Amino acid sequence: MSRLAIIVTICVVVLFLGSWIFKALQAQDAGVDHYLLRGFLVTCSAFLTLAILSFLYKDNPIYKFAEHLYVGISAGYWMSQGFWSTIVGNLIPRLSQSLSGFFKQPYNAGEWMGGFFYTNWVFYVPVIFGVLLLMRLSSKYGWISRWALAFIVGTTAGLQFIRYMRSDFIEQISSTFVPLLVDWQGIGHFFSNLSLSATGQLVAMVSNWIIFLGVLCGLIYFFFSKEHTGLFGKASRFGIWILMVTFGASFGYTVMGRVSLLVGRITFLFRDWLGITS
Amino acid sequence: MKPLLITVSLLSLMTAASFAQSDPPVEQPMATDSTMVASTPSITPPAPVSSLEAKDSPDDHGHSITLSWEPSADDGAGAATVTSYVIYHSTSPEGPFDSVGSAISGATTFTHSSAKESDAAGFLADYVDRYYRIDAVTADQTIRTPSSVVGPVQSSGQWYNDGRTPVAVAVAFFGLLSLFFLKRAKAGADLYVRPLGGIEAVDEAIGRATEMGKPILYVLGLGTASDISTIASFTILGRVAKRVAEYQTHLIVPCYDPIVMAVAQETVKAAYMDAGRPDDYKEDMVYFLTNSQFGYVGAVNGIMLRQLPATNVYMGKFYAESLLLAETGALAGSIQISGTDEVAQIPFFVVACDYTLIGEELYAASAYLGREPLLLGSLKAQDYAKAAVIICALLGALALNIAAASNATWGLTFKEFFKVTN
Amino acid sequence: MQQLTLSVFQPGVLISLAVIGVGLALLLRWTLQGREVDRRVIFAFIFVSVATPVLFPITFEVKATPIAKALFEKIESLPEGTKVMISYDFDPAMAPEVLPMANAVVRHCFQKNHKLVFIAIWATGQSLLNQTLQQVVAVEFPEKQQGIDWCNLGYKAGNEGVMNVIVTNLKKMFPTDVNSTPLEQIEILEGIQSCRDFALIVSLGGGQPGPKEWILYVGDPGNVPIGAGTAAVSAPQLYAYYPKQLIGLLGGVKGAAEYEFELMQKYERFKSVDAPGIRMMGPQTLAHVVIIAFIMLGNVAYLRTRRKKGGAA
Repeated sequence: MSRLAIIVTICVVVLFLGSWIFKALQAQDAGVDHYLLRGFLVTCSAFLTLAILSFLYKDNPIYKFAEHLYVGISAGYWMSQGFWSTIVGNLIPRLSQSLSGFFKQPYNAGEWMGGFFYTNWVFYVPVIFGVLLLMRLSSKYGWISRWALAFIVGTTAGLQFIRYMRSDFIEQISSTFVPLLVDWQGIGHFFSNLSLSATGQLVAMVSNWIIFLGVLCGLIYFFFSKEHTGLFGKASRFGIWILMVTFGASFGYTVMGRVSLLVGRITFLFRDWLGITS
Repeated sequence: MKPLLITVSLLSLMTAASFAQSDPPVEQPMATDSTMVASTPSITPPAPVSSLEAKDSPDDHGHSITLSWEPSADDGAGAATVTSYVIYHSTSPEGPFDSVGSAISGATTFTHSSAKESDAAGFLADYVDRYYRIDAVTADQTIRTPSSVVGPVQSSGQWYNDGRTPVAVAVAFFGLLSLFFLKRAKAGADLYVRPLGGIEAVDEAIGRATEMGKPILYVLGLGTASDISTIASFTILGRVAKRVAEYQTHLIVPCYDPIVMAVAQETVKAAYMDAGRPDDYKEDMVYFLTNSQFGYVGAVNGIMLRQLPATNVYMGKFYAESLLLAETGALAGSIQISGTDEVAQIPFFVVACDYTLIGEELYAASAYLGREPLLLGSLKAQDYAKAAVIICALLGALALNIAAASNATWGLTFKEFFKVTN
Repeated sequence: MQQLTLSVFQPGVLISLAVIGVGLALLLRWTLQGREVDRRVIFAFIFVSVATPVLFPITFEVKATPIAKALFEKIESLPEGTKVMISYDFDPAMAPEVLPMANAVVRHCFQKNHKLVFIAIWATGQSLLNQTLQQVVAVEFPEKQQGIDWCNLGYKAGNEGVMNVIVTNLKKMFPTDVNSTPLEQIEILEGIQSCRDFALIVSLGGGQPGPKEWILYVGDPGNVPIGAGTAAVSAPQLYAYYPKQLIGLLGGVKGAAEYEFELMQKYERFKSVDAPGIRMMGPQTLAHVVIIAFIMLGNVAYLRTRRKKGGAA
């Protein structure tokens, strides 16, 4: 390690140790039960926030530390979530009474279907598929996991297909059936109700026309069986304009979202950590 | 008006209080058939509900009865205003009737249903005769009027859900269309796909890379070998590799998924054979990097900044890394061409790349180049489905507007075809 | 929090505008000189322009857009005691945007005496839900009792699969609430068999599964009105469902602020509670001003280089 790196590391350690002590004392004054822990958590969050932000200056070991910590913790978190909510939460209560008792889950016996069969036995199928998926770990029998994957892909595709067909296809088609002349009551009435407010007749009409033409021209842009020339080409041109406006809106919204996250972090640093705003 | 109301409520409160010792709490009506007629004779009980009907709920898995009625004449008016309706049920016309729920004033329907498990609370068995009665109840729970009993009615499940016919028609239409065009494509029919600007851009970019003597970077994204966008990307990679072989430029294909890498190696090798330069193909053109999303981004960004490729091509499935990759590429001054079907990522590619294949254009480009039956057939099927949508939208808007202008109702009938209920 | 000051002449506005103005003037000068501006300068500038209004708070009047107002009006119009389901489908990364909406919607529902059933389709939603319960419900509505006025069914793994089941049978996926109380013993769930029995479902989230999946798997097939609060990133894609399949939408911090503002206008008591959405709109607005200025500066620089190239050729 270079001398500079050592000095920087020492400064960082001293700064955040100081912050821990200070925040803990503050929490103690406020009568918080676990004040040492509270002080540590606030300091830790502040440290990690700054560590990640430091990447904007330059890639550095502190950033790498925070990134790896995040990756590791989230992997561990999802693994334990998977175990507790899927295996313990969904599977065990349906398959084993003694294990449900052990995990303090209410046992769900299912229905008796006659003979030896219970409705809950169907839950052995996902158990088997789960084991098959784990075969990926073996280089020799890894191909077996494709059976489970095929099942997952097949069922999700089927389930999604119907839902999308309904919500994104049929319902959306009928959503384009909009009145293009909103409550048309003659030209005099139209001009006397000219207004740019969102409830005005003009705005309602213009937005209905945009929806209608936007859908048609957007579809025409993605129509590949015909050369885009003449009127068809003009419609397709309008379609791509509509698409670009959509992308712009989407981009703007994303910028807004990212700025919100920054505001959230800065508020945390200033209010919860440094305590300089109320 | 006010003093009268107060007197009435005081009186009813007093009567209620005097019954309180012997009666159960008023919120839960007694589970008996006793028609609790007004205990204060001075107040006329409300009018009962009329035209009460009980039917098996349509298009369901059974265990459900739907009741409908005309509200009481005193609903929302009169001295004895009806504040709620309490629904009673029995399996015999003589009773005893049990309360199964209530509806607020103004309501005209109620569904009496249960889960299909026989141990469910309030389980409702199918194919059992049931009888119903509704009490119109005033604010004073004791003042109520029962309706006549309706029944018998049985609940049952249906095999076919009428409300979803439009979905069935759409699925059948689209499914048949896909099968038809798939079959035609496999039979080698000449299916027209219009040329796309992006493809020409790829050719130009390769030419430029050759002039500059710099490599071309091809990124297949984070998809697996079974994702349709990755499959489309393989075809485009084949085309790019062939051109690269012809121009004798250098190609770099870093991969995220080992299986994708294996397929990409085969694709590039075949393209070099096609171009008649099998000797120029090197194994290390296509290589595996890492299976970690941001690790992969970091490594690819490193390649862009160190090897300074003249052209970067991003085709396939991309997530949050789209902007990170495209921005670095733009900084390095490369020409960039991208294509993805991940709608959320397209805006980032559009701003940072010179040319972007938007959504389905990626499949179309691939179908145009590769003429692979699966891609070509589904592309054609989609085209015809889109044509159908355009026609429906035009007809629908026309019908609705003409009908609205001429005050006819048939315009709305057309809209009914697209109405999915239940 | 003090009463909202809505004038443009707040000290925060003047200080922030001064800081931003100086910075932009400097950048403009560099641009005109044709100097390459380091990215770090841009980052630092954005940081400062967001930090200044955080230090010197600014609040603006946030007029509700029709799409946000629609959700407000829907909750407003439901009769007292209506059962509403609220689903927490987000994680800490989305929390600065979505949690303020969640809190505002919960406040509004409790103010109107609706009965709330909370669930989480995202594992991380569970702990954010607890934040609402501890910081909003326990503090501002101490009279609301668990089991009678609200209940927490907790998180269930299975994403869209969970929705697909609870649209017909709630108990099958949630046999108990988060405290292992069987559903039959929870008063508020009396008469509730599936999601169809709710008068409204509000999905708060922005990823997958989120509001879109609620529409696809529950709203449309179950005929349940769906309202949504979403992170800004996914808002544009949800607009297509309004107003038929989605009754109202709050998009990003702006949506949260709009909802908070409507609440304040309608109910005096909420004028004194913390409104993070409105509070964040100040820095947000200034950051947007800076970004718009950057876009203009970028274009100035672009035109300059193009003219130079054109002149040389």
